[in-house]
Amino acid sequence: MRQVGIVGVGHTKFGKSEVPFIDMLCEAALEAMDDAGAKTGSKNVIDQVFVGSMGAGMINRISGSASAVVDALNLRPAMAECIENGPASGASAIKLGYMAIASGCCDCVLVIGGEMMRVVSGWEATDFVATMLHPEAEYKYGITLPCFAGLFTRLCMEKYGVDNRDLAIVSVKNHENACHNPCAHIQRKVVLERITNPAYINATNPIVADPLRQFDMCPVSDGAAAVLLVAKDKQEELGFGHKKFVRIAGIATATDTHVVANREVPTDLLAVRLSAQKAYKMAGMGPEDIDVAELHDAFQILEIAESEEVGFFPRGEGHLAARRGDTAIGGKKPVNTSGGLKAKGHPLGATGVSQVVELVRQLRGEAEGRQVEGAKTGLAINFGGFGNNVAATILTTK
Amino acid sequence: MEQMYCYKCTKCGKLHHPHYVVCQNPDCDGREFEKLPLEGKCKLLTWTRVYNLPEGYMKPWLNFGIVQFENGVKASGQIDFDDIENGMELVSTVGVVKEGIGSDHYGFIFRKA
Repeated sequence: MRQVGIVGVGHTKFGKSEVPFIDMLCEAALEAMDDAGAKTGSKNVIDQVFVGSMGAGMINRISGSASAVVDALNLRPAMAECIENGPASGASAIKLGYMAIASGCCDCVLVIGGEMMRVVSGWEATDFVATMLHPEAEYKYGITLPCFAGLFTRLCMEKYGVDNRDLAIVSVKNHENACHNPCAHIQRKVVLERITNPAYINATNPIVADPLRQFDMCPVSDGAAAVLLVAKDKQEELGFGHKKFVRIAGIATATDTHVVANREVPTDLLAVRLSAQKAYKMAGMGPEDIDVAELHDAFQILEIAESEEVGFFPRGEGHLAARRGDTAIGGKKPVNTSGGLKAKGHPLGATGVSQVVELVRQLRGEAEGRQVEGAKTGLAINFGGFGNNVAATILTTK
Repeated sequence: MEQMYCYKCTKCGKLHHPHYVVCQNPDCDGREFEKLPLEGKCKLLTWTRVYNLPEGYMKPWLNFGIVQFENGVKASGQIDFDDIENGMELVSTVGVVKEGIGSDHYGFIFRKA
């Protein structure tokens, strides 16, 4: 199979977009193209554009955004398709880009992930995200993603001894990292005492989905990210020979039950484990080879649980690793150097691409202020639904 | 009175909730199901109280839980009281879980046994 790698990355400032949805996608795309030196018009070498987005059709009333982007960027007649896999749309779009090149159908693919969620109210955004749940067994009850995270967290607390302070430790770490990421939505340090002290916790960190509090979950964000993929055997010919080739060593998705109640072990995130195992096998690597990771911390409990499922720490000990500082920059397994979804933000369709952009910057040695020294291999987990469709991606410069 | 159901595979006997197209037993390929009432006693596996409800719920908060019925079937639903603990014995009832325009949505509302 052909080697596929990344030669260009782009990322908008997450938060509240000042430009319309298509312009936001184009901003990330152009940054990735300029990073790689890709041209437009008659000099275009991009065969295919994939756009990963969950809800542009639903909340922005914009469908067919991939076609619109190709036209806006003067990349016609490149092929263009939209990819939807809930909050894992971005990583799924990268997987399809990888498959298109590895199979020989394409030589160069532009992948963009984006979401514009702050045009609607908080309760409309919560409802829109909940539409991926089972319509009869979950959605109609008013069950949402924070609801499932609350149900899951209570079980983890009971079974493994995770407590609210552990969740806050993860949150504080990710806020600290985001202060060094100019693209992060919330670039503000958080003091552990301020969000855990029982004397004023209900004012500074109110309950949202018991036992989860505000600082145990990500904000609602707008944003876009893009990567330019190319076949190794065409890198020189297409004009990207000057760029460091960050190889996609492994990429896989896996699924679990749509109905969360029907999972055999309710504290397991089976699709995280299976997608990571598939990606490790494809790469010929294991968790010991990973220098830096971006894990999908839409809720802080997920960073802890995912760090166990991908094999960084034994089952039920992810929170102990967080307490020890193992997941901080400079720790044994740095996680979410970008600030994670918690502080960098979580524009659903953008997140999977954004995670890969962060890993590329780490592996190129360009993550100023948050660089993991000597990082050569990274892992990203992009979590769709409440874990019913998960993508794992391994990048390396080895 | 609305009724909630589970679905018994006519080939292997596995019980399902909600309805599936193909039996979820990995060693069975059944596609036909017998519809049986899903009701009565159940055990609370986990719960949460949610304050940021989605569009269409005019309440300050709602309690939700996942339960396991005596026949082994698990289901999510709303809980109608506040002093909740994991492992509690509950009884399932059916009520309006979301008000709609023209027609309401019915589902599980769990109460103290």
